Amino acid sequence: MNVVRQFGNGVFSMSGREWSLLVACLLAIVIFSVASPHYATSGNAATVLRNSVELLLIGLGMTLLLAMGGIDVSIGIVMGLAAIAIGRVLGAGGNPLLALIAGPLVGAVLGCVTAAVVVLGRVPAIVGTLGLLGVYRTAVFVLLGGQWLSGLPSSLTDLLATSVLGVPVPALVIAAAYLAVWLALRRTPYGLHLLAIGNSEEKARLSGIPVIKIRFMTFAISGVLTGIAATFYVATYRNVEMTIGSTLALDAIAAVILGGTSILGGRCSLIGTVLGVLLLRILQNGLLLIGVPSLWQPVVTGVLIIGVLGFEAVCNRLPLGRFQRARA
Amino acid sequence: MKTFRNLQGPALTLALLCTLWLIVIFGLLALKPSVFHLGTVTTILQFSTILALVGLGQGLVIMAGGAGIDLSVGGAVSLSAIVAMLCLKLGLPPVLLPAVCILAGAMLGALNGWLVNGLALLPFIATLGTFFVYSGAALAITGGAAQAGVPSWLLVWGRGVVMGIPLPFLTLAIPCFALAGLVLLSTAWGRWIYAMGFNERSARLVGIPVDRVRLVLYALSGALAGAAGLVSIAWLGSGRPNIGQNLELESLTAAMLGGIAITGGRGGVGGVFAAVLLLVTLKTGLLQLNINTVWQVGIVGALLVFVLLADRLSQRWRS
Repeated sequence: MNVVRQFGNGVFSMSGREWSLLVACLLAIVIFSVASPHYATSGNAATVLRNSVELLLIGLGMTLLLAMGGIDVSIGIVMGLAAIAIGRVLGAGGNPLLALIAGPLVGAVLGCVTAAVVVLGRVPAIVGTLGLLGVYRTAVFVLLGGQWLSGLPSSLTDLLATSVLGVPVPALVIAAAYLAVWLALRRTPYGLHLLAIGNSEEKARLSGIPVIKIRFMTFAISGVLTGIAATFYVATYRNVEMTIGSTLALDAIAAVILGGTSILGGRCSLIGTVLGVLLLRILQNGLLLIGVPSLWQPVVTGVLIIGVLGFEAVCNRLPLGRFQRARA
Repeated sequence: MKTFRNLQGPALTLALLCTLWLIVIFGLLALKPSVFHLGTVTTILQFSTILALVGLGQGLVIMAGGAGIDLSVGGAVSLSAIVAMLCLKLGLPPVLLPAVCILAGAMLGALNGWLVNGLALLPFIATLGTFFVYSGAALAITGGAAQAGVPSWLLVWGRGVVMGIPLPFLTLAIPCFALAGLVLLSTAWGRWIYAMGFNERSARLVGIPVDRVRLVLYALSGALAGAAGLVSIAWLGSGRPNIGQNLELESLTAAMLGGIAITGGRGGVGGVFAAVLLLVTLKTGLLQLNINTVWQVGIVGALLVFVLLADRLSQRWRS
């Protein structure tokens, strides 16, 4: 177990976990198509993909965090704060290019704040980010002043709704973000160090890895990705509501765990996260269409997290699971 | 000043908390003198009861180490209150309502314990999952509506006041803390909890039933959440599906503020009790000063971060 396992070395290489996720996605699509006449339409497919954009970006950052043995439960509200900043720039009639910078900038700053508390303050990530979640939530309320930010100008939307060579801009940005994170993870010392920290922080420190620097950077990267997600959020909905991002952190954690990234750190799968996000959004959308009230969504997500982790725990105990582990 | 410096451990925590508490009270007194009368004290203690019960369970779980944490407490409070009220609707004899409420909480807590022990999941991720399951289920089952129909004798207990002290606080919160303090200080179980929190490996090696203690503590945390749910029913007169909102944050802050180390093995329940009173006094004070309630969660969160950082700094300063 003390060897850093790097299955999925290629950009899109898939192992058993990823294939089963893909099958699960297809299976869910088939079942929902049979159950609801409104499901298998091109409009609905577009909705599911559209709803996945922010979660894909945030999920990439969360994959890095969980693989490092960290977590950030405040990430959804960080997106909210970044969205407010973008909204204020747009609302003041600012240049849409300025609005493009505002999101990642605010995300990076808040990522650094989180990193300062969790990494420099040596606080357990879950407790530190829970405290910050409270602070950020108040900040959202105070900055919005009790009203939604709505009716924002469409300049940012026009900028991001275009296509380059027939590929929509969101898809391009996500592909670029995926490639960047994959390169950092699989082709640079940073990635190797990150996985080593996830495996054992103590061993990583003893072998001379700059643990604090790597952990700080990872929280900052996650913040930047969240800021980009906020840009797409504002561009799509052109408003910012009070409850913005309240379930995003849970969704991101669920998607990453579904994707096969180990919460104990040291092992991660980016393509698994992408498939996990798609499966989660397909399930949420499908359940809504077959008439399950949206109040049940957090229950389903929570059950998914516990179910997947429990299933893995049981599998690891079976003799076959042990065999596979030894072989890997 | 010299005596202050010589203070250590729980005594230091208590001294600091009392100082902070006095600062809050005098600050409040200076800003709005009309606040202080017996009614305010009753209100503070009334609000404290729920947080005290939940904070006690949270504190014990953290104290036992193994990265122990119970993020699901808020959801357990809501869900046990809802389950009890729904059972009542389905024809449960009203006499059994308190028992069912606490039992429901204990079972939710035991599920956490089983996930942590039996499946060896990390406590924070297991209880984060159950938090969303419990709180989501409470909302989804009821559609967000409060469940009315509390028997009148329960309201008498829930709203009763003796010499300015609410009955639930007197008959539930204080005995629970006294009992927990007694168990921690003078029984084998208490020693075991500290030992496994301090060093789980050696605790196992000397034969402490670590898994059993941990399971019991998670179940206890759930049962205390159930008791808090009961208090909310008896006090408010209905089972509200969102009553446990933000309790995971507040109970964590109370436990950390009360001097319990996040790594386990250090702290006591007296500190948690004082921290709960401090937190609720602060919140009530803000309310009295007409400060919007949205500030509460931010201030509690900031306190949590501050306490954690201060703990680290003081450790570095001492070593």
